[in-house]
Amino acid sequence: MMVRAVTLALMLLAAGCAREDRRDVLTFSGSAVGREADVLRTQLARFAAERGIRVEIRATPDSADQRHQLYVQWLNARSPEPDILQLDVIWTPEFAAAGWLLPLDRFAHDTADFFPATLEANRWQGVLFGLPWFVDVGMLYWRTDLFDRAPGTFDDLAGGAARALRDGRVRYGLVWQAARYEGLMTVFVEILGGFGGAILDEAGAVAVDAPAAVSALTWMRDAIHREGIVPSAALTWQEEQTRFAFQTGAAAAMRNWPYAYALLSAGDSAVAGRFAVSPMPAVPGTGAPTGALGGSQLAINARTAQPDEAWAVVEYLTAPEQMLERARVVGQFPSRASVYEPGRGLEGVLGIDPAAARDVVAAARPRPVTPVYTQLSEILQIRVHRALTRQQEPAAALHEAAREMRALLARSGLAAERTTEGP
Amino acid sequence: MSASPSERREAWLFVSPAIATIAAVAIIPMAWTVWESLHLHDLRMPWLGRPFVGADNYLEAFGDERFRDAMARTFAFAAASVSLELVIGLIFALAMSHALRARALIRVLVLMAWAVPTVVAALVWRFMFEGPSGVAGSLLAALGVVDAGFSWFVHPVAAWVPILLADAWKMTPFVALLLLAGLESIDPSLYDAARMDGAGAWRQFREITLPLLRPALLVAVLFRALDAFRVFDVIYVMTGGGPGTSTEPISLYTFTTLLQHLRFGYGSALSVLVFLTTFVLALLYIRLVGRNLLEAKP
Repeated sequence: MMVRAVTLALMLLAAGCAREDRRDVLTFSGSAVGREADVLRTQLARFAAERGIRVEIRATPDSADQRHQLYVQWLNARSPEPDILQLDVIWTPEFAAAGWLLPLDRFAHDTADFFPATLEANRWQGVLFGLPWFVDVGMLYWRTDLFDRAPGTFDDLAGGAARALRDGRVRYGLVWQAARYEGLMTVFVEILGGFGGAILDEAGAVAVDAPAAVSALTWMRDAIHREGIVPSAALTWQEEQTRFAFQTGAAAAMRNWPYAYALLSAGDSAVAGRFAVSPMPAVPGTGAPTGALGGSQLAINARTAQPDEAWAVVEYLTAPEQMLERARVVGQFPSRASVYEPGRGLEGVLGIDPAAARDVVAAARPRPVTPVYTQLSEILQIRVHRALTRQQEPAAALHEAAREMRALLARSGLAAERTTEGP
Repeated sequence: MSASPSERREAWLFVSPAIATIAAVAIIPMAWTVWESLHLHDLRMPWLGRPFVGADNYLEAFGDERFRDAMARTFAFAAASVSLELVIGLIFALAMSHALRARALIRVLVLMAWAVPTVVAALVWRFMFEGPSGVAGSLLAALGVVDAGFSWFVHPVAAWVPILLADAWKMTPFVALLLLAGLESIDPSLYDAARMDGAGAWRQFREITLPLLRPALLVAVLFRALDAFRVFDVIYVMTGGGPGTSTEPISLYTFTTLLQHLRFGYGSALSVLVFLTTFVLALLYIRLVGRNLLEAKP
């Protein structure tokens, strides 16, 4: 804490001293490690050569929570820097409602190419505050030697997983991220969407205690404790533990993000060439295949001294050419639909066939777009985890969660603008 | 002895750096926290401003089930871990004081666990109990204590077992060391006299060792209880408070509220309540121990 405060003070001091002769230098904050940093530096150098605007990268912690905390401290202190921020998809509404981000509508005229869900996640009260940079989406990895075809329904998935278990072909039927953290929310949102439910309804009211949600959570609990297709150890697992389980051939199916694809296809993987991906399953007629939308956005600090230059940077970084390059170097999924078209050069780049990747991304749905998402999520994480560890019945857990979430919305003052009256 | 006004002024001058330091590092931050706790200050909801709300945060805390549960859990953890460490620590101390050979080596071995950073120790314990391949987990399954594939960190009660073991493993050496110092200060001639009078080992332990060890025992309990009440790192690393919130101690809840939810007002109120609780406990205990320490003196 102390170290961070001192660093911050020094950085602000340094920025303050240097302000005079740095009119054309912008600052960018985001993840700056490994190949992500390399490709960003290359692109910014190219941009500087073309446009004469220099952009400095200000490194931030790699952990999402810590980066978020640092951003809040900076923006809360009304710092004009960094000019450009890399935001997690769930932060845009929070920062927008706080008045910390510059509305982008007056710059961004042509956004039709971006996947609609990615834009939806970046709007607050109808105004666009961030431009999708790359997308992450939850999807189903399944073994082609254990399933006849992509499991499109929960019954297909559970049936196939149970059969593989019964035949002794695998140790686990299905693995997912069910530790008590944000990852559990993404899994829950996906199953919930598959059952036709939602955390907040269209009007922004809490809907997590509706029958569809109870069915979804009950299915998740039973998959662990009744049918035994999901190991109870998964209740402490995050992405990597599930990937290890799937990569060593111990699991018939896995829910995970796209990053796992390249690793699973590598030479040392036991399942290379024996797996495929598809959108998450759904109940036919009632629900729709749903992948949780993740990924990063670029936004502009509302107090920036150079909004036009900052927009030029954002526009450049989110152009198709830069997205393709990012996909090639880092393997991140472009947020523009056109980049996936045949002949654009995405073939063989993501591991996944571009058309299949596009289908998965098209099934992506944002998590609730609200400034208090993180707080809502924490309430729900605890209750969902209680239900999954059999400390509470799913209906009771969701009922409590809904009560607490409504109280939070009321306390936040957001309930007044929207109808969030409970039953 | 009375001092002249100029001497008194000089005395103040000499202690003023100390007073200023204490004010800067303890009194001012504490007062600030109390002041903060009387405001609604939510960094993630800046549109609400930072109004003065009086005792609202405290009222919310008293009605907050998660806070009350965390408090109760913390007390239970402190009681369980301190009892465990006291019993094992006493056995270690007795063994160390009776060791005839390689005393230094034994002491080093016992103290080693204490020297390991808590986060490292907690991680090792987590790996031992985590998943089907954890060493301790599979050993206990092989012994038939639990079913194969039992997940310790998923069960709301069983999750406490690795936590308590890790904490005891780490902190028992500290208790043992304190008690060893107490044992060494007992006059050996008392034991000689007891043996002469025909008292057996158990009688000697009950009539000589325990009563004379009492001051050391009380000090150990005070230190460990206050420490256990602030338990954070072991649990943060091992379970993060889960499953659900069933292993969440009060310090972890306060940390989450302050630094993750960034609810400065409410988090400060929680901090103040925790501070008051430990303060009152320590005060009561010190009065108790103080009296006992005096009584124990010959």
